[in-house]
Amino acid sequence: MIWEQLVLPTLTVLLALGIGAYAVAVLDRLIAGALGLSRAGSAWLAPLARGAWLLTQSANVTEAPDWQAWRLAPLLYLMLAAVGLALVPWSASLVATDLATSVVLWGSVEALATVVIFLHGWSANAPLALIGAYRYVALGLSYILISMFVLIGVALPAESLQFTQVVASQAELWNVIRQPLGLPLFLIVGLGVSFWGPLNLADSTDLAGGTASEVSGPPRLAWNLARAAMLVAFSGVAATVFLGGWLGPWLPGPLWLVLKMFAVLLALLLAGRLLPRLSPERCVTLMWVVLLPLSFVDLVWAGLEALL
Amino acid sequence: MELLTLFIIMLVILCAGLAVQWPTVRRQSLPTYPQRAPFLGGGLPDTHAWNRYHVRYYPMTLLLIAFEMEMMFMYPWAVVFVEKGMMAMMEMGMFLAILSVGIVYAWREGVFRWQ
Repeated sequence: MIWEQLVLPTLTVLLALGIGAYAVAVLDRLIAGALGLSRAGSAWLAPLARGAWLLTQSANVTEAPDWQAWRLAPLLYLMLAAVGLALVPWSASLVATDLATSVVLWGSVEALATVVIFLHGWSANAPLALIGAYRYVALGLSYILISMFVLIGVALPAESLQFTQVVASQAELWNVIRQPLGLPLFLIVGLGVSFWGPLNLADSTDLAGGTASEVSGPPRLAWNLARAAMLVAFSGVAATVFLGGWLGPWLPGPLWLVLKMFAVLLALLLAGRLLPRLSPERCVTLMWVVLLPLSFVDLVWAGLEALL
Repeated sequence: MELLTLFIIMLVILCAGLAVQWPTVRRQSLPTYPQRAPFLGGGLPDTHAWNRYHVRYYPMTLLLIAFEMEMMFMYPWAVVFVEKGMMAMMEMGMFLAILSVGIVYAWREGVFRWQ
């Protein structure tokens, strides 16, 4: 019982987190190589070498930072990613934590991510990091509603807030086809929650690295790891609620989920490499005036579809 | 039991993350003060970073609160939606329509602009 309910779930989440974060780094480098961008070393070894290098470097210090918060913020972000991954069902029986309120908990992970990223930028006591943090709050408060409406949309046909039920409700047709607006909107949310590519407002290069501009050495490694892990957790949730999770012919369930997660990751990382960064002053208007009404449409669509 | 598992997963990840940062958490070597000045592209800061900052988007955060409260009603609504049918649809439609007027008003007032 201890093995089935404590050790196995913990090992699953840890493995998914570690392998997933490595896969994100490798995939991103492979994409950069395929697009002809500069790439040093082998795509498979470079992330490991970079990680080992960061581990041996000394961590930067600013004048009078908020020490506890500064060191804790990457850990908390990593923890949020782990909570997200724990909710993802790998098959009908293999779920780390099969909560009846998975959708609500994932919503709280997205909301708390804003708090943690702000904490990371605020605690360094450096102007550029703080500006990145304030920018991220504007973005985080804008995308959270889109995410919630889209997720409520997938809960309607399932008549439940449980991810396993949401997957079971997609047995005939996946939500990506049933609710065509859902996945594109949710992918934008994914770029927001891990502030990746076009929505990288917190750690953008115009702020010399934003919230991470004063962070180096092991804390930087923890932060980069946490961002990649959050991307993995998000891809797991997206594959679960829109791409039918473990459902699929011939192959075993967990393998299907991994394939679908890779598809989501590929889409996100390609978007991160191909799309320019959104300017922060336009982002709030875009989210509230264009994308939020679109998520209303998605919800109404999902509701009508569920009733038919 | 699920919550206990979740708690243990969170604890294990926290410990793993702490282990990565352990050398810095335990014994941080402090560089000299000029090196510890925050990066400002060559300039030196003349104020503390934590001074008053005008958060231009604060009216948007107030608008968010209205919608966040609405989400609270929406979670139970989603579970009983199919059972209640068209009536639930209409009710939430009206609720959303009223809130959307708020978005239009805020848009007109320039809440989403950042100047």
